Amino acid sequence: MADVEFRKVRKAWGAVVAVDDLDLAIEAGEFVSLLGPSGCGKTTTLRMLAGLDFPSAGEILIGGRRVNDLPPAQRDIAMVFQSYALYPHMTVAENIAYPLKKRGVPRGERGPRVAKVAEMLQLGPLLDRRPRQLSGGQQQRVALGRALVRDPRVFLLDEPLSNLDAKLRGHMRAELVELHRRLGRTMVYVTHDQLEAMTMSDRIAILEGGRLQQFAPPQAVYAAPANRFVAGFIGTPSMNLIDGELAAGPAGPEFRAPGLALAVGPLAAGTQPGPACLGLRPEHLSFGTGPLAGTVQLVEETGHEAIIAVTLGEGGPRLVGRSPAGLALRVGGQVRLALNGPAAHLFAPGPTGRRLNAPSPSGAVAAAAAGDQP
Amino acid sequence: MAAPRQTALERQYSLLGLMLIAPTVLVFCAVIVYPLVSAIYLSLFSVFTPTLQGGWVGLENYRSLLGSGEFWVSLRNNLVWTAGTLALQVLFGVGMALVLHQNLWFRSLARSLILFPYFVSTVVAVLVWKWVFNDLYGILNHVMMAAGIIDWPVDYLGTMPNAMISIILVGAWKYFPFVVIAVLARLQTIPEPLYEAARIDGAGPVARFFDITLPQLREVLVVIVLLRAIWDFKEFDLIYLMTGGGPVIATQTLPLLVYKEAFALNRMGMAAAYAVVMMAIMLVFMVLYIRRTRERRP
Repeated sequence: MADVEFRKVRKAWGAVVAVDDLDLAIEAGEFVSLLGPSGCGKTTTLRMLAGLDFPSAGEILIGGRRVNDLPPAQRDIAMVFQSYALYPHMTVAENIAYPLKKRGVPRGERGPRVAKVAEMLQLGPLLDRRPRQLSGGQQQRVALGRALVRDPRVFLLDEPLSNLDAKLRGHMRAELVELHRRLGRTMVYVTHDQLEAMTMSDRIAILEGGRLQQFAPPQAVYAAPANRFVAGFIGTPSMNLIDGELAAGPAGPEFRAPGLALAVGPLAAGTQPGPACLGLRPEHLSFGTGPLAGTVQLVEETGHEAIIAVTLGEGGPRLVGRSPAGLALRVGGQVRLALNGPAAHLFAPGPTGRRLNAPSPSGAVAAAAAGDQP
Repeated sequence: MAAPRQTALERQYSLLGLMLIAPTVLVFCAVIVYPLVSAIYLSLFSVFTPTLQGGWVGLENYRSLLGSGEFWVSLRNNLVWTAGTLALQVLFGVGMALVLHQNLWFRSLARSLILFPYFVSTVVAVLVWKWVFNDLYGILNHVMMAAGIIDWPVDYLGTMPNAMISIILVGAWKYFPFVVIAVLARLQTIPEPLYEAARIDGAGPVARFFDITLPQLREVLVVIVLLRAIWDFKEFDLIYLMTGGGPVIATQTLPLLVYKEAFALNRMGMAAAYAVVMMAIMLVFMVLYIRRTRERRP
């Protein structure tokens, strides 16, 4: 049974619909990220789960219990805020003990529980300090401690790492994964950072415009994006998306765009020839040899590899590819390249056009994902 | 001390700095330091106000002042008035600020209206209140008698403790908007996530007020209390116009006593001595205020 469940949840502020028709079932112990650009509804979703906002329609269940009408304190959840929301006039120890105090846990019992959490998060020496005397990373850990101390059923995390610098963020990412592994609790994590979502989650729910676009493990999201939005959103550099025409070729379906004709893999049943969009990850371009010729627009050396932007033919599509470092390329020069047709994704036209590739067996997806990951 | 030699540019900058603060320093000396020093000087003389003639008496003014019952009665009145009106100002002020902080549809209108008592000239406000409190024609007596609460008109300004209660109430009405504005400004800066975190942590509305709002207001309340204490302590026009210090001297505070000594009893030196003592008392509040605003918590 799902631990957290959204059933046809909708949230509208007047005429603005923040979340629409959301169905989401999160298993017990799962780490799920809500990922999407600003204004996609991910924070609203989390706040509805927390009980800070109320759905306009639909049902929210935690542990099989309908919580629509339960105040936040009775939902058996804890939340870490983006701003940490530590009580500034209380010490670290008082901050962590606060949820226990408000739930009537006797004073004698609070001390050991705070100490246990402090030890887990290495906050021991900081217990007498006030939040303003702590660094960002320490405040973050106190906020986690305040959430942990009650041992709630579900942890809600609202972009908890976005106020930290890049190095600390990487460190805290690993700590959170480790914490999740140790606690085995359900965690719902809101982020706009795909790296955080990809590296930490068991499953990612990608939202856009208030609608769920895909809910799948990170590898599946990467290897088999459900639609064009997900394809363009996940992956750095982003997937090349080329609008063109799907036609029947001599040896199976073929994608055609100015300066490009590519045989593509098996398509979903019922796919008709017509306008379509080709998606190709940068790692599925290879440079040096190949049937196509391109003009180099930009070369970004990152050390171990180079990100290369080329245009195909005269006024053809612009493609971005990655190639091992050491390829001598000159901006404005010509380069031969090949596209990996079988790895290409095809989408129906429109910003959220659905995936047209034939569904592959899940094992194949995982294998492809393993090979695909940069 | 072997100070490093200043460069020409540094000397030029310091000269410019001196020139820029010089006007302020001169004005400060003219309007603050000179009157202060001359008041202290004056308090050592026995001076007849109309002629400003008189002779040196040393500390005699202070001796008779501390020995007079009127000084101690006035000081007690002053403290009762200050504490009473200040407590009501803070109570009404914080309460009203909390109400106005809510998302009410008439919020912006109410926020402007709430400032009305603070903006009305004291003379105008007191005249209105005196009519309200008037024992023969006042609306208050009229309404209370019509409602059957009292059988006989009450003398609000001519008997004790009614007179003190009346001025304390009018003072609270007149000055509580200051508290509202200051508290409201602080309330708006309390981050909303603190309240949300408290809700998730299990705090009810009352606990949220005492655990989040009040600690956050603490610093601004300390400043408000000290500032208003200084201002209420030296309040003159409101009390003078409401009761003139009466009945007899039952609502006479130190500022009224200073005025009476100087211009009714024509003893300018004695008045100056009262004023100096008053200043010494207010200095306590001021030192507290300065230390409060300067110190940052460790």
